[in-house]
Parts: sequence; C-alpha cells; structure tokens
Amino acid sequence: MKYKTLKLILAIWVILWISFLMREVFAKGGLRVYSALLNRSLDDKRSYVTGDNFYEFLVFCNDKLPEGAVYGWTKIDKADHARRRSTYYLYPHLEEEGADFLLVFNEPFSAGPGYELFAKLDDARYILKKKKKGN
Amino acid sequence: MESLRLVLSIFSALFIGWNILYIISLKNTRLSFLEKLFVSYGLGFGFISLEMFIFHFFSLKFSLFSIMVWWIPLIAAVLLVASKRRKSHRPGGKGAVTKKTPLSVLERFLICGISFEVIYAFFRALIKPIEAYDAIATYAIRSKIFYLAGSLPHDFFYNLSLLFPHPDYPLNIPLSETFVYLFLGGLNDQLVKVIFPIYFVAILGILYYAVKRLSGRAGALLFTFILATIPQFNHFATNAYHDVPFAYYCFTGTLFLLYWFKEPGSRGYLYISAVMTALAGWTKNEGFVYCVANIILLSVFLFLNRRTIKKRGLLNGFLYVGIMLLVLAPWLWVKFTANLVNSDVGSTSLEQLNIFKQSYKIWPIFYEFQRQIFGPKKWNLIWIIFILSAIVYRKKLFDESRRYATISLILIVSGYIFAYLIGRDDIWHMVGTTWSRMAMHFLPLAVYWLALLFGKFEPDI
Repeated sequence: MKYKTLKLILAIWVILWISFLMREVFAKGGLRVYSALLNRSLDDKRSYVTGDNFYEFLVFCNDKLPEGAVYGWTKIDKADHARRRSTYYLYPHLEEEGADFLLVFNEPFSAGPGYELFAKLDDARYILKKKKKGN
Repeated sequence: MESLRLVLSIFSALFIGWNILYIISLKNTRLSFLEKLFVSYGLGFGFISLEMFIFHFFSLKFSLFSIMVWWIPLIAAVLLVASKRRKSHRPGGKGAVTKKTPLSVLERFLICGISFEVIYAFFRALIKPIEAYDAIATYAIRSKIFYLAGSLPHDFFYNLSLLFPHPDYPLNIPLSETFVYLFLGGLNDQLVKVIFPIYFVAILGILYYAVKRLSGRAGALLFTFILATIPQFNHFATNAYHDVPFAYYCFTGTLFLLYWFKEPGSRGYLYISAVMTALAGWTKNEGFVYCVANIILLSVFLFLNRRTIKKRGLLNGFLYVGIMLLVLAPWLWVKFTANLVNSDVGSTSLEQLNIFKQSYKIWPIFYEFQRQIFGPKKWNLIWIIFILSAIVYRKKLFDESRRYATISLILIVSGYIFAYLIGRDDIWHMVGTTWSRMAMHFLPLAVYWLALLFGKFEPDI
C-alpha cells in the first residue's frame, strides 16, 4: 500500500515537474532569453537584463558624471527595480536628495527651474545640473 | 583564466572549511568524504567572510595574502594533529569491501533528474549577471562597495550602509562575493554567482547522506530528487538571493543537532550544529529564529534525557550557546553599537509584543500559508504531501526517532509566525512578499522529516 501510494505520488510529481519545466523554458520565454544571452559579452548581458536603453544611459552617466558627484532621479520611483539597478551600476556615485545632478530617463527634454543641461545622450535621456546661485 | 581563478576561489574556501571541520569534528563523527566536502564549503565561506568582517575592527585591507595568511596556523595545527592521529590509528588493513548493488531503473531515473536539475541550476545562474531585485539592491551593491574600497570602509555602518536598503542585514554572502572578486581580480557579477548553485548542491548532498542512513540508497535518491525538483528552491539557487545559502546553514545546523541526539558521544556533531546555526545568523536575520529554535530543542532533549545525560550534557548545552555567541559576537557587537535595526521587526514597541492584540494578523498569515500549500507552480506537491503525511502518520510524529525533527519544525514555523505577529509592516504585504522565501529555509528539513516518516524505502522497480 505504502509503495503504491509513493509510486502514484512520484508519477504525479514527475508530470508536474516536467510540465512546469516546459512552461518555463518554452511558454514563458526562457529559451528565448537563454539564446539571446548565450553569445553575449558580460557587458552586453548586463545591458540585456537591465534593458538596452536604460543600460546605455547608465554607462553614459558613469562616463559624464564628475568623480565623486552625487545624483538624483526624476520620476523613477525609489522602489523601482530600474532605480535599484542604477544604484548598483552608478556606484561609487551616490544617490542623494537635492543632488547637483539630475538624471532624466524617458522624458521629453525640459531643463526645469534651477537646472540646466549638463550632458545629453538623446532627447529623452540626459543629465541636468543645478544652476549655481547668481547665474 | 578567469574560470581557473574562480575554481581556485572555491577550492580555497573548501580547503579552509575542510581544516575548520577537521578541528571541530575531532570528537568522533562518521561523515563520508563527500559529506565532509559539502559541510566544508559552507564552513569555508562562512569563516572567511567572518574573518574579512573582523578586519574591519583593525582597519585591515583585503588582499588574498592578508586573508589567507591567518589560516596558516590552523592548517599547520591540522597537519600536526592528523599526522599524530595517523600514527596512533594505523589501520590493520583495508576495511571490508561492501558489494555495491546495481542501480534499479527508478534509481537511474532519479539520478538523471537530479543531475539535470543541478546542471540546469548552474546554467541559469551563470548565463546572466546578478540582476534580481534584492540580489542587486541589498547584497551585490555591498560586495561592490567592499571590493572597490578593498575593505569594509571605516564609517560603513554609520554612513554608507544607511544609503542602501536593509543596513541591518548580515554580511556573510556579500563578503563571500568580495572574496571571489578578489580571486577574479575584477567585478565579474556573472561568475560570482557560482557560489549559489554550489550551496544548492551541498544541501542536496547533505540531504542524500542523511536520508541514506534512514532509508537506503533508493530512498535517499528519491528525497534528494524531490528537493532538487521543487521549482521555487531550484530557482532561488540561481538568482543570487541569500535564501538557499541560508537554508543550507539552517538545515545543517538542525540536522547535526539531530545526529548528536542519536549519538551524544559524538560531540563533533554538536559543535558543527552550533557553528552552522550561528552562521545562519551571520547569513540572514532570520537565522536568530533558528538559533533560538535549536537552543530550545537542545533544552528539550536535555530535559527529556536528564537521567541518562547528567552533568556533562548540561555542560554541552552551555558550550552550544557559547560557540554560537562566539561566532556571532563580532556581528552582534556592530549591530548593537551602530544601532542597526530591522525595518520590519526592529524597533518593536511593547504593545506590538502583545501577541493577543496582534491576533488579527493570524488570518492573513494562514491565508498566505494555504496559498503556498496549494501552489504547484512553486512547490509542486511538497506541502500537500507534508500536510497529508502529518495527518496519516500522526501517531508517529512524536515517537522516539521523529520527535525532535517534528518539534524543530514546529519551533521554526512558530518563530516565523511570531515574527509576523510583532512585525510593524502591513501584514498582507509582509507575508505576501516573504512567506514563499521563508518556507524555503526549512524546506530541506521538511523533506528530511518526510523521509523520517516514510522510513525504509525498497521499491520493486
């Protein structure tokens, strides 16, 4: 009786196991992701998993921000995955409220009061810098 | 070249762990070579990260030399003891050769399934760099800071750490990642992920040998297969979250305590349990639940066996707590002096500790529990089997051979429920976002408990 029950459980287990594996690899796009990642360099992989557009902007920011500069974001929620990724990739630059540099992603160009354009990747991805008092 | 450096980093952790294991298990433990390797892996990384953390107190910089050089006295001591033991224990000849029975069809199938899951876990871990939410926001950022600074910056806990989520989280895995980066000579956040599937393999290995002692080879393969093929468990072995390494420390911590209950003369088991449970506290805050649970479990054992155990057993109990405190002391010191409190259950008020007032939280807790139980996408049938087995074998749950594993599971789940009850966060959010990970922490123990219930397994296929 015990072994019959165990065999039945194992059979159902295996069916579920294989079904969920197939679902993950084929239906949920696992295979597509794996094949896209397989031949990429490490940096290309970072770009793929972060989103090419966003990662390109982060690389741009790393390149343009002066050493030790702190930055802030416009309109990306603090708990957003993209924001967390940016914190990781932009370190040793640190995020701070009221920072001199504002990073703008996926927003039409507008400098806003008190800020001027510092560097621009394109019309929707750019860095603003706080205007100095007296300017 | 990078792969070779990666292998060297893992080998170094294993080697140091092996030496630590040799010292703490001098007192008669019967572990196979592979079992020792699996235990050494977690011990190695746990103690190396602890050492790197202690560097912080002396403002020492990280380098491979500065990290490895401190282990030379231990390695020398092990060599000395080993050579002395070899002289006094010269074997008379080769031990009895046990005849290996050929693998059955079922066993072959189970081996294929386990191998597939292990290879798939390594593949999924190493195909992409660290990118999952907490893995990057909480842990990888810290290992990057440590690697770039070449140390734990002196004001880290008072300043820098507060800028990132969960400053109170222990640093075992971030520092282990830093150790691997030091070997790699760069921030390769893809290769560093190899440490996670190895923890997964180590859990499977330790479970295999544990069940083999109870149920034989087929049973061991069956329950290892069951654990390896649980989607949630396998997935978390690949995404650089800390839950699988944490489950490893929790499982070994409890398992070796259960071993000691069976063989109180083999104190090595008790020491391994104390160290592993403490390392659980050094891996995740939830580890303190396991520390308390194991101390209570040990107390129950000592109380129930007070007539046979006597004074020495009591001393062992104190020693158990002492070892835990010793391993955790550096982290606890920083945690309290820097006032690092947990955002969920940290600064809990006295009113929140009144669990009767918090009893309204029971409903969301049980709602989420049942959601996980009937969630085959994540768990296959494991929790359904678990509940049904508890009902069917209810008379066996507290008999001599199963009592302590059952009590351990009850204590752990009660500990988590207590933490949820006193937590300050919205209960629906807290339970909804964490329970599926919490359940993973005691999953290997739950699978072992199932093996204990089923007993000997000799299928006819």
